[in-house]
Order: sequence, then C-alpha cells, then structure tokens
Amino acid sequence: MLVLAKIALGLGATLAMTTAYVFHEGVIRVDVDEHRPGGSHVHFWVPATTVSAGMRLASLVPQRPLEQAAEQMKPHLPMFRVMAKELEKYPNAEFLDVTDEEQHVHIATVNGKLRIDVVGDDQTMHLQVPVETLMDIADRLEDASRSARAREWHARHTKHSVVFASE
Amino acid sequence: MNLCTRGVPKLAATLALALFALAPAASLAQAATDTDQWIHIRVTSRDAKGEVVRINVPIEMAEKVLPAINKDRLHDGKVRIESAQVKDVDLRAILDAVRTAKDGEYVSVQSNENNVRVSKNNGVLYIIVTDKEHAKKAVAKEDAPKGTKASEPVESKVEIKVPMKVVDALLSAGKDELDLVAALRALSAHGDTELVTVKDAENDVRIWIDSKNATE
Repeated sequence: MLVLAKIALGLGATLAMTTAYVFHEGVIRVDVDEHRPGGSHVHFWVPATTVSAGMRLASLVPQRPLEQAAEQMKPHLPMFRVMAKELEKYPNAEFLDVTDEEQHVHIATVNGKLRIDVVGDDQTMHLQVPVETLMDIADRLEDASRSARAREWHARHTKHSVVFASE
Repeated sequence: MNLCTRGVPKLAATLALALFALAPAASLAQAATDTDQWIHIRVTSRDAKGEVVRINVPIEMAEKVLPAINKDRLHDGKVRIESAQVKDVDLRAILDAVRTAKDGEYVSVQSNENNVRVSKNNGVLYIIVTDKEHAKKAVAKEDAPKGTKASEPVESKVEIKVPMKVVDALLSAGKDELDLVAALRALSAHGDTELVTVKDAENDVRIWIDSKNATE
C-alpha cells in the first residue's frame, strides 16, 4: 500500500511538473470560421512550448525546413526580433483597430499574449500567441539563418580548397 | 522519514515550477510603466462606410524597431530624401533662421484658393493650411453625376504643430537625410502634444502623443 502511494505521489508530481513546464509559455489559439456553405471551421490550441520544441526538432530534419523559412524571412528577421522583444514590455495594449463596413481588424496584447482578431462578413479569424513564443520563434529562425550562412561559407571554402589542391 | 515528509520536497518542486510558469506574466505586467509615451494616429472617414483606423505605437518601441527596418529610402532609422526635392531650398538655413527668430507669424498668405499661416510660439512651430479649392472640386465631382445643386464645400484644413527641438533632431542626421529615431526621442521628451490635425470633406486625421496606451 505504502509503495503504491509512493508511486502515485511520484507520478502525480511528475505529471504536475510536466504540465507546468508544457504550459509555462501559455497556449497558442487559432480559430478560423468561414461564413459560407461548406466553409471551413478550424479551431485548435497547442501549448506554446511544443512550438518552440518543434522548431528545435525541425532544425534536425535533413531537408532543413527551418533554414528555408529563415532565408525567406531574412529581410524582416531583425524587425521581427526587435518587435517581439519590445512587445514583452507591453502586456496589455491596443496597437491597431480598423473598422469598416465589411471588416473589423484588431491587434492588441492581452495578458502577455498577442491577439489578432479579424471579423468580417465572410470570415472570422482569431489568433492568440504568447509574446514569449514570438521571441522563441525569432531566436530559432535567427539560429537557422546563422547555421545556413555557416554551411554556405563552409561549402564555398571546401570547394575553393578542392580547386586549389587539384591545381 | 514518513510518507508525508518525503512528499514535501516533491510538492515544493512542483510549486516552484508552477511559480516559474507564472513568473513571466508577473514580470510582464510590471514592464510597461505609465510614463511611456505613445504616438496615436486616428483616421475617421466621413463617407457612408464610416471607416475608422486607430493606430497606437509606443514611442520607445518605434525607436527600437525603426533602425531594424531597411527598405527603400529607410535605413538605420533615417530616411534619405532626394536632393532634387529640396534642390533650390536650403531647408537647414530656413529652419535655423526660424529657430533664432523671435516668436511671431512668419508667413501669412490669403487667397481664393488657400490660406497659409506659419508661426512660432514658445519653441513650437505652427503650420496651418486651409485649402478652399480642393473642397470646391470635391463637391463639384460629387454633385456632377447627380445633377443636383452644388452642396456647401467643406474646407480642407491642415494643422501641424512641431516642437522646434523635434525639427532639429529630424535634421541632425546630415545632408539629404531625416533622422526619424532622433525625432521620436525628442518628441518623447516633449510630453503630451497634438501634432497633426487634418479635416477635409473625406477624412478626419489626428496624430498626437500622450501616455495612454489606447485611443480615447
């Protein structure tokens, strides 16, 4: 009985710790509804930690999708990084609100999460991302960009060495 | 050591981890202070669609983000202006003359088309332009297809209020460049102020600075 209690306590504590870790960055929520017959309805939420962990894992995939994404994002990466860092200072703020006849777009931070809401006649989209996760994404993309540059330099350097050796 | 005593470290570890999980939210809440200056832009359309655009940006954030944008003429928080645009005008010399001059009205033009007033008071430059012609054209264009009697034209009025320190900061970058970051810093130091007001037949535009993080 005592052994079972110990095991239960251990498992419980581990579960609590794992849950606390998985959710410590918060949750990413995506809700998309198309208001038309047969329109898609996407509703999901994922712990933000899994996105960070997923990006770390993506860097190990041979096709290097993260490096490709980083290359595409390259011109905007410094701005994205600074913006994410600065957003941390404004946990509750309204940045943009556009209202017209057909749409309402709202961008704000609420309790440290970036919220983007687009409510239109034909489509509704709500996105919620913890600001901390944006920082993580920026860091991962920058790492990927750096390693892509390093690999490129290494490849060029090796090629030159081979040419020099053959001469 | 009994079961309860042994469970305490695990419980403590769990609680510590839970606290660690909540810590970022707490630190975030303390990060922004009430003294932060925000630049607000509000555009209200007068047409039937009733478009309203509200933009609120912390000046500190803009100061940090601008140097990270390198596109077209914007580099390192500075905008390059074509020398051709100011070829025959020595902008610096004019502004220097305005800065050192006594407070007063420098330009006052009244015509059938426009009224223009440029004045300086307590280190702030005021530019007020009233465009009568644009309003008349807008009304004529609107009424032409309807074949109705011309409605009353709404004057287009632009009011710009710029602290001289901001102008100095803007021109501090060097020839053919405007230093936006320095201007933002100067604006932030100046405190709450109304910068631009535009009222015409189509839109109301207002740009101002205060310490609130949302448009009223």
